[in-house]
Amino acid sequence: MKDGFEGLPDLSGGPGERLLARGVSRRDFLKVCTGIAAAMGLPLGMGAQIAEAVTNPKRPPVIWLSAQECTGCTESLLRTNHPTLEKLILELISLDYHETLNAGAGKQCEEALKKSMQENKGKYILVVDGSIPVKDGGIYCKIGGKTVLSLLEEQGSQAAAVIAIGSCSSWGGMPSAYPNPTGATPVHAIFKEKGIKTPVVNIPGCPPNGYNFLSTVLYLLTFKKLPQLDEEGRPKFAYGRLIHDNCERRPHFDAGRFALEFGDDGHRKGYCLYKLGCKGPETYNNCPTLLYNDAGSQAWPVGTGHPCFGCSENKVGFNIPLHTPAVLKDVTPPVNFPGIVEDKGKGVTVAGAAIAAGVAGAAIGVAAATSKNLGKKDKDKGKSDPESKES
Amino acid sequence: MSKRIVIDPITRIEGHLRIDCEVDGGKVVNAWSSGQMWRGIELIVKDRDPREVWLFTQRFCGV
Ligand code: SF4
Ligand code: SF4
Repeated sequence: MKDGFEGLPDLSGGPGERLLARGVSRRDFLKVCTGIAAAMGLPLGMGAQIAEAVTNPKRPPVIWLSAQECTGCTESLLRTNHPTLEKLILELISLDYHETLNAGAGKQCEEALKKSMQENKGKYILVVDGSIPVKDGGIYCKIGGKTVLSLLEEQGSQAAAVIAIGSCSSWGGMPSAYPNPTGATPVHAIFKEKGIKTPVVNIPGCPPNGYNFLSTVLYLLTFKKLPQLDEEGRPKFAYGRLIHDNCERRPHFDAGRFALEFGDDGHRKGYCLYKLGCKGPETYNNCPTLLYNDAGSQAWPVGTGHPCFGCSENKVGFNIPLHTPAVLKDVTPPVNFPGIVEDKGKGVTVAGAAIAAGVAGAAIGVAAATSKNLGKKDKDKGKSDPESKES
Repeated sequence: MSKRIVIDPITRIEGHLRIDCEVDGGKVVNAWSSGQMWRGIELIVKDRDPREVWLFTQRFCGV
């Protein structure tokens, strides 16, 4: 009865104990699991179920394949200010192979890879960061003398599921920008071409939010299936909404207050960055609500004063020039507002008054028609509705 | 008779590094290091608006 989490799984044994040893308390751990359940739109009780599943003493094996990447995706998981994220990931899974993190080099780590693949055939999770070059036989990225193209085929076809972390492996990302010198290709496209049936989850972002990756891993471990995906293969819990719909600068957008230049008055006042090329209106991601690195409010690109560049959106980031205005996917505010200047003693301008009257007239008309219809419906309803007869 | 030792991948660094060593009589007589990955960022940024080039060059390395 000490921490208020009675009845929830205790952390003794398996990864739970290791977490405790690393200073992650039971309370912290359950808080993260419950938070993640909520972020994925799962009922609250699911937090406990996630905690139960991931403290299973048998840790799921993970093989991490690095292709044409910059290691930003790995760094974003390791360099968080939050004390638990990288510990959670590294303790809950058995990371059998990761080029940047393996202790042994060369032959030793290649052997660890071979061993894990043999022992866990069809059961391991393959995480891929970086795009796959296909031009000239795939020679533009090699590990241990083999092309990553051949490594992906080999490792991908025997995996239980693949998580493509980052924009590079999700849709090609930066290396695939014009003129795509190396034929950089995303994982799902290679699988399609080679007829590999292993399911792929895309976690785009450059780099993506570590919590979106962690949530996906926990979901896979708990429910033994993929979370719901959108048509781009992204988990809906994270990529279900436009940046623009959750942006704290949205009221400025709606009111027509924009920064026009970096450092101008509007920019200093925190106005909307649409005219500087913000791609929030066409990019699906949860950056404004999840934020980055647990650094407090506004810790995301727009919050710091830079337009979103659309990294998680196929054909937007690295494709549409940075300062080109976004294509609006939903409401567009009017270009011209009625120019009514109510100068004292002068009244409204003629044109403004005319527009205002027109708009008001139309509005009244609509209201009248609506209430008329409603009244009619109510009356009709009264005839057949048994409840209203009784009263 | 010299012998060649290849260490690939070199771990705990960013990127794909390979080291080739030529060893003769217990001594390294020659060695090569080579990056095993190329994205062609030089070609990607060519003729681009300089105001957005940082977006690409920033991703040389994410460490
Ligand atoms: S998606 Fe971005 S952060 Fe991740 S490897 Fe590619 S360039 Fe680096
Ligand atoms: S355009 Fe960008 S800055 Fe403006 S409201 Fe939309 S997401 Fe926010």
